[in-house]
Amino acid sequence: MTGKTLRLVIFVVLAVIQLAVAADAIIRSELALRSGEVFRFKLQPVDPVDAFRGRYVALRFAVEKAPVAEGVPPLHQQEIFVPLVVDADGFAAFGPADLQPPASGAFLLLRSGFDHLDDNGDRVVSLILPFQRYYMTEELAKEVDRSLWRRGRRPAWVTVRIRNGAGVIEDLFIDGMPVREWLSTGGPDVIPADATDGSSE
Amino acid sequence: MSNRSIRWLLNELPGLVSDGVLDDAAADRLRERYPEPSSLSGSRLAIIICAVFGALLIGSGVILLIAHNWEHLGRPARTAIALLPLLISQGLAGWVLVRRGESTAWREGTATLLALALAAAIAIVDQTYHRGGDLEDFFWRLSLMLAPLPWLLNSSSSAIIFLASLTWWAIGAKSDRLEVIWLWPLALAVVPHVVTVMRAERRGLRAANLQWACAVFLCIAAGLGLEWRVPGLWILVYTGLFALMIAVGTAIRRDEDGLWRRPFEVVGVAGSVVLWLILSFDEPWKNIGWQHIHNDERFHQAASFFDVVLAVGLPLAALGAVALTLDRKRHPLQMAWVSSVPLVAVLWPWVASGNTLDAKFVAAVAFNLLLFGVGIATIASGIRNQNLGTVNLGMVVVALLVVVRFFDAEIGFVAKGLAFIVVGIGFLVANLVLARRLRSAEGETP
Repeated sequence: MTGKTLRLVIFVVLAVIQLAVAADAIIRSELALRSGEVFRFKLQPVDPVDAFRGRYVALRFAVEKAPVAEGVPPLHQQEIFVPLVVDADGFAAFGPADLQPPASGAFLLLRSGFDHLDDNGDRVVSLILPFQRYYMTEELAKEVDRSLWRRGRRPAWVTVRIRNGAGVIEDLFIDGMPVREWLSTGGPDVIPADATDGSSE
Repeated sequence: MSNRSIRWLLNELPGLVSDGVLDDAAADRLRERYPEPSSLSGSRLAIIICAVFGALLIGSGVILLIAHNWEHLGRPARTAIALLPLLISQGLAGWVLVRRGESTAWREGTATLLALALAAAIAIVDQTYHRGGDLEDFFWRLSLMLAPLPWLLNSSSSAIIFLASLTWWAIGAKSDRLEVIWLWPLALAVVPHVVTVMRAERRGLRAANLQWACAVFLCIAAGLGLEWRVPGLWILVYTGLFALMIAVGTAIRRDEDGLWRRPFEVVGVAGSVVLWLILSFDEPWKNIGWQHIHNDERFHQAASFFDVVLAVGLPLAALGAVALTLDRKRHPLQMAWVSSVPLVAVLWPWVASGNTLDAKFVAAVAFNLLLFGVGIATIASGIRNQNLGTVNLGMVVVALLVVVRFFDAEIGFVAKGLAFIVVGIGFLVANLVLARRLRSAEGETP
C-alpha cells in the first residue's frame, strides 16, 4: 500500500469516525426524546454565553450528589450507574450509585467525582451531570436572565427524557410553565398574578 | 540559506570578481549553487495565506451564525445544517488528498475548513440537544477528532488549531481540578507532521510558525501537565525545558536567521529570564522536595510518576542536547544560557534535603548571580560580535534584575544601597578599562 493510499484509507476512517460521533449523539438524543421516560429535575438557572455554541441558560441542579451503594470501592472520576427515583414532590432524586446498572427502572450512566462522607456520616458521591446547559436564541436567553433578575428567584425545573442511561433535556419550566410561554406572560417586568413565591432550592 | 542571504551573496559576486577575490568560474559555480530566489515563492506564500485565512474566516463565520441558535428551524433541519458542512469539507479534503496532494494552499485551506466544520458540527449537535458539558469538554472532543488531521493532510494550520484546542481543554480541565494526563500522548499526534515539515522545508515560514506553536504549547503544557504532588518539581521541569529549547533551537537554525525563524531560542531565552527572576527570590525555594509531598489530597498515581519523569528527563535531555549539538567555541553564549541546568541539579536536591533557611537563601543568591553573570556575558558577546540585539538582550536581563532587586522588600535598604553602589562602580571600572583598551587599539592602528 503506498503512502498516499494509506493516508486516504486513514482519512476515510477518520471522516467516518467524525460523522459517527455526531450521528451517535443525534440518534441517542432522538431516541431518548421519542421514547425515554420523563423526569423533572429541580434547578436554579443563570445565563452565561459560550463563544462556540451560543447563549444558554446554565443549569444548577438542586441535588448533584448520590448515595453510594454498599460494597462499591472508592470512586475517582469514573463511570457509574445511578438509578432514578421520584420524590414526594414529583421531582427526580438519585438512588444509590453503583458500578453495575440496576436490574430494573430508569438510570443514568454518569461520570462520578470523588466519594466522601456527608454531614450525617453517609457515603455520597458528587455527580457530573451531562445536561448542564439549556441553549436558547440570543434574545430569549437574555430575556430569561432579565426576567429572572426582575421577578426574583422563581421555582424552575427541566424535564429530561431518559433512555438506556442517556438523558436529554426536553424543556425548561419556570413557575410551572414552559419557558417560552412563561416569557409571553408579560415580559421581564411583570410578575404573573398566579405565580407563587418560592425558591427552586 | 535564506532568500535574503542568497540575494546578498549574488549582489556581492560582481564586486568580489572585480576585486580579484573570486574568478568568473567560481562566481558562476556559486550562482549555480544558489540560484536567484524566485519572486514566485512570495506569490505562492500569498496564495497559502489567502487560502488559510479564507477558510478560517468562513469557518468562524459559520460557527458564529450557529451560535445565534436558529431554534425555530426544528431539529431535523438543524441536524442537516450540522452535518452538511462537515460532509462537504470531508469530501473536499478527500479530493485534495487524491488530486491536489502537492498543493500546500489546497491542503492548508481544506484542513482549516474541515477543522472548523467539525467544530461547528459538534457545536450545533450540542446546542440542538442541550448536550455536552463545559467548554473544555467541547475542546476535548474536538481535539480527539482533529488529532490525525495534521499528518493526514500535511497541514500546519490544522496542527496549530489542534494544539490551541488541546491547550484550551487542558487549561479548563486543570482549573476544574480534572485529570489532564492525556495531554502529552495526544500532543504527540503533531510530531509526524513536524518531522515532515522540518525535513522538507526547515527554513520556510510553515516550519517557523509550527515551531512557534510547539514552543508556546510546550511552555503552557509543562505547567498544566504537572500533578504538583511533590512541591518544587516545576523548577526542574521548566529549567530543563527552557535549556532544551535553547540547545535544540541553536542546533536547528543557521546564524543568518531572524528572530521569527528562531522560536525555540526566543521562547527558551525569554522563559529562562522570567524563571530565573522568579527563582531569584527565596519564596519558590521554600518547602520543596519529598519531605513536603502532598499526601492528604488524592492524586493520580501515573500522573505523579510522570511529573518525576519530566523533572529528571528534561534536564537530562537538555544536557544531552548541549553535549551533542553545541560547540563550546562556536556557542559560548548558548553554553552560558543553559548553565542553569547544572546549577539547579546541585541546588534543588540540596535545598530539598536540608531545607534550612541558609539553603533557600543561597539558592536565591545563586540565581541572582546567574542572571547577572549571563546578562554581562550576553552584553560582552554582543559587543564582541557587534550585534546590537544581543547587547540589548543582556542589558534587559541586567536591568530586570536591578528593577526586581530595587523593589525587593525583603532586603534592607542599606544592604541594597551598598550592593547597587558596588555593582555601579564595577560598571564604571569596566567602562574605564574598555575605553583605555579602545584608545590603545586605535593608537596601534596605523
